[in-house]
Amino acid sequence: MKDEMAVEDVDSGKLTPLDPRQKAVLRVRSIIAGLVPLIILSVGALILERETGFPSLWIIGPGIFLYMATVLLLPERRYRRWGYWQEGRGIRIASGLIVRRETVVPYDRVQHIDISRGPIERFFGVATLTLHTAGSYNSTVDLPGLAHEDAERMRDEIRTFIRHDLP
Amino acid sequence: MSELPESWSRLHPATFAIRALEQLPQFVLGLPAAAYFIADSGIVVALFFALVGIAVSVGLAYLYWLRFAYHVGEEQLIIESGILNRNRRTIPFDRIQDVSLEQKLLARLFGVSVARIETGGSGGDEGELDCISREEADRLRDRIRAYRAGSSESTAAGEVDVEANEPTLYTMSVGRLLIAGLFNFSLVFLAVLGGVWQYVGSYLPSDYLDPRQWIDTYGEQAVGMMTALPILGFALVLIAIGAITGLARTFAREFDFRLTRTETGLRRRRGLFTRTDVVIPLRRVQAVVISTSLVKRFFGWRGMAVQSLGTDGGAGTNHVVAPLAYAEDLEPILDELGSRLPPPHGHFERVSPRLVYRSWLEDGLVLAAIIAGVSLFWSGGPWLLLLVPFFAIAPVLQYRAHGYCIDDDLLFVRRGFWRPSVMILPLDRAQSASLVRGLTQRGFGIATLAIGTAGASLGSPLRILDLEEPVARRLLGERICPV
Repeated sequence: MKDEMAVEDVDSGKLTPLDPRQKAVLRVRSIIAGLVPLIILSVGALILERETGFPSLWIIGPGIFLYMATVLLLPERRYRRWGYWQEGRGIRIASGLIVRRETVVPYDRVQHIDISRGPIERFFGVATLTLHTAGSYNSTVDLPGLAHEDAERMRDEIRTFIRHDLP
Repeated sequence: MSELPESWSRLHPATFAIRALEQLPQFVLGLPAAAYFIADSGIVVALFFALVGIAVSVGLAYLYWLRFAYHVGEEQLIIESGILNRNRRTIPFDRIQDVSLEQKLLARLFGVSVARIETGGSGGDEGELDCISREEADRLRDRIRAYRAGSSESTAAGEVDVEANEPTLYTMSVGRLLIAGLFNFSLVFLAVLGGVWQYVGSYLPSDYLDPRQWIDTYGEQAVGMMTALPILGFALVLIAIGAITGLARTFAREFDFRLTRTETGLRRRRGLFTRTDVVIPLRRVQAVVISTSLVKRFFGWRGMAVQSLGTDGGAGTNHVVAPLAYAEDLEPILDELGSRLPPPHGHFERVSPRLVYRSWLEDGLVLAAIIAGVSLFWSGGPWLLLLVPFFAIAPVLQYRAHGYCIDDDLLFVRRGFWRPSVMILPLDRAQSASLVRGLTQRGFGIATLAIGTAGASLGSPLRILDLEEPVARRLLGERICPV
């Protein structure tokens, strides 16, 4: 039911969700990304307690709460906002939790295509497809969270559309 | 000099002189200073170093000239350069878009110019021939054009007077230069003066900047002088200097502005001291921007620039093709670009009036936050409320100035109240498009359409702000990026 909400976002009413393994990727990323600020906050709070006697738990507690919230809730929600749809001559990519963005890239405007896989993505078997356009805005359009085979298939499909000279 | 193979050319001998002259100041100014700091051994040593410097710079310039050679072949240009590390670069004519020329003041004295070989794509190998004679540059251009035209009889075709074949699209008379200069009214000199003041000030006696000292000494006089006349005089001087600065800058840049149509594109020559000669290949032009200002618009003046795909290795370049023109002057240029003048204001569609409410909400929240923050430290925080009328009116003006129009295959987007501009984009040059909805926009049911255009961005990316969401979706799906 919740997944359908994401589908409604695009006017065609159709949207392919990302590979479910991308949820795990997002979660691992948010665990790592939140760790450093949490440690800095904790150290700061402990120093503050030693210097002024202000109970560190009052700071660390909400910090951990926030951290847990971003790790437990955000990846799922962000995953649901992502989606793509391959039309005949282009691709439509939707993303963004707060600022919603739907980007259309006609295939014949693609300059070249990258597939990239970071260590986390490799571990979970997904890949990011990056479309490079000649535009100064949207010069790279990322589509993360594709099964590696899917990414390669899409790359080969799109590659046939690439023109070798610009208009 | 002797080992140069046949059919290879050296740069113009003046190159050697120009390079030596250009490098001189560094050596002559730098070395005595160095000598002074090494030991205060006096003027003789400094002079000796200066002479060595001159010899070295002349020698280096000569070596550079000696070791630089190029060959204009049947299908390619080969450049060999480097004093110690030899570098051989081959540029096939296929990849050469055109040859643009630039003449700095010194080069003009010698009658030579820097030829830049513009190749396709962004990045990649570019060639520079610094400097060659005008005839040599024309020979190179003809060779490339002849190759393009598929004929090998380059000399026969090259004899035809190229200049005569290039219809003039736009020129700037001295009168128009004057007007453009006045519109470029600039008080930038004040900043320069401020910088000099700061620099000089540190060498003046310490009480020089003490206002009390000034008031004690000159207070009486100052009060006496505070009549209307000196103030008026001062204002007039400021205005005069501002106008002269604007005129000087405009004359230096736009003097003898000449836009002609070549086989492949538009050719622009301009400049008083540094004369540039740039060819903008038509097929690389992505978008056109016509801009003006409130005052200029009142007199019917506007300027036009084109956004072109990368020719110099960067993301691209913007070229001003008409600094100051009436609408009818722009028409022939637009014709060549396959474009048209923007339709009258009435033909533009307005965006959603909720743009105004959204701006009020967002600006209001930001202003409230700032006032709250400032009030913690300063009791005068509420004075910032004086900004409210500005924030209240600005979105209304923005809304009234903003609009779009799709006419056949062209998209026109106008925006800006103080400096109105219209961007003209052929729809098939849109590289991608995004529909973006921020938090407040979602609340108001509006969306911004951002369109990726190739080449250097002329300021911010092309955006149509705050359309009704269904309108934005229809535009995106049916007109701008139908896929």
